[in-house]
Amino acid sequence: MTLLPLVRLLQLSSPTLPVGAYTYSQGLEWAVESGRMKTEADTQRWIGDLLEWSVSRFEAPLVAGLLAAWAQGKDDAVRRLNDDFVASRETSELRAETVQMGYSLVRMLVELDAWSSLPGWRARLQAVDTPAFPTAWSAAAAAWQVPVADALTAYLWAWLENQVMAAVKTVPLGQSAGQRMLAALGARIPDLVPLAMALPEDDWSNYAPGLALASSHHETQYSRLFRS
Amino acid sequence: MNAVTAPESRSLGAPAGDVPSARSWRAELRLAYERHGDRTVLAARSHVGPLVVQRPLYPEGSAVCHTILVHPPAGIAGGDSLSVDVDVRVGAHALLTTPGAGKWYRSAGARGGLTQRIAVAAGAVCEWLPQESLVFDGAIGDLATEVSLSGDACFVGAELLCFGRTGSGERFTRGELAMRTSIVRDGRPIWLERGRLGGGSVLLSSAVGLQGEPVSGSLLVAAPQVDMDLLEAWRALAPTVGTGGVTLLPGLLVARYLGPACEPGREWFTRLWAAVRPAVAGRPMQTPRIWNT
Repeated sequence: MTLLPLVRLLQLSSPTLPVGAYTYSQGLEWAVESGRMKTEADTQRWIGDLLEWSVSRFEAPLVAGLLAAWAQGKDDAVRRLNDDFVASRETSELRAETVQMGYSLVRMLVELDAWSSLPGWRARLQAVDTPAFPTAWSAAAAAWQVPVADALTAYLWAWLENQVMAAVKTVPLGQSAGQRMLAALGARIPDLVPLAMALPEDDWSNYAPGLALASSHHETQYSRLFRS
Repeated sequence: MNAVTAPESRSLGAPAGDVPSARSWRAELRLAYERHGDRTVLAARSHVGPLVVQRPLYPEGSAVCHTILVHPPAGIAGGDSLSVDVDVRVGAHALLTTPGAGKWYRSAGARGGLTQRIAVAAGAVCEWLPQESLVFDGAIGDLATEVSLSGDACFVGAELLCFGRTGSGERFTRGELAMRTSIVRDGRPIWLERGRLGGGSVLLSSAVGLQGEPVSGSLLVAAPQVDMDLLEAWRALAPTVGTGGVTLLPGLLVARYLGPACEPGREWFTRLWAAVRPAVAGRPMQTPRIWNT
């Protein structure tokens, strides 16, 4: 990987990206509230199962598909994948999360000369109706010529880091526990990226009923820090 | 490839758990409902193989046509390929159900398939309420439900799957069920869920998956009328056994169930259905009589 695309990728996958990712727990806050997630081991299993069985088998292969579609100028495929992703969000909060983060990222990119001055990209991204977060994120990574495997690695890492940070705050767990989980779960990413890249669309899976239930219940959780 | 056989080549009701036959069914059923005056009629029906409908019923008057889908082999075995196409045309109102639990039999290796395509036109209502399906240990199958809505069409769809025959303590340890459910309105997807659940998969026990429960189900109500008031009405209802959750997406109410048995899931879905039916279908609850037999 050449160095400028790597730098751009670090910028895109940093928690400082101003899209509000840190305000979402994706049902994890309910898992804590309901007593299902009390320990570091419970937490690692919840996040690890989601990483392996949902995010790596639906969102990540979809991001790979989006990166290819953006790079090849197939904007119809971008729109189809975007609509499928929005329709695949299991609850009101999970849908609102990706739509809000997508909206914020589009706005940020449009105002960022390093991206919006690249010819054609701004009009292409703004032509997508209700852009989801992976759609906007992949437009940035594709425009900055980040290789697909590196992009997916960073995408999964950013998701993982956000989940672990949410757990550290909510369970709560110490910073050392957070780093242990990042090390253990991060070590799975090198196997999950090639799996996601090779997974045919017939094998994509967002089937995670326990996550969907947790997210539904979070919608009526009385006291909460997170928006999902 | 398995041979397509005549209906009499396999006895009705294959022995539980056994691989029924080396031969396979190919069955197709096409139904079209139309509104004639104030009556919904089953205007067209055709079938290939052992998948049929009984005489249409009108237990709540002429506006709503109740139909019972019958699949005499009672279940799907490896190599079987079933498809159901339902077309509910402008202004018609159809309610479809089944006479008993469906089954996905253990397979020696071949995949079985059931594809359900449901099209609902403007001003029409389709209530798709099959009884639960039991997925035997070792079943291998593809279950696809594709719903296409136009304009202000209304769709109510229930699905309850039980992994393993829990009555005999069986669990789902081998095989696979690939599931895909999509709802499109005017060409744009509003719901997409897909997954492959392998026998013995981590997802069966995982807190993000089935949480160790054998029964997973959903009730989807796609209609322009769904709103926060209906969501609040749903939130006030809970399953007596198991865990339920509800949410409101644009034009779509979703209820999910995880639990130890189908009956409390079905009973909860029935109460949820009763709570929305007046708003989305313009009429009070009418439980299909066959559910009580």
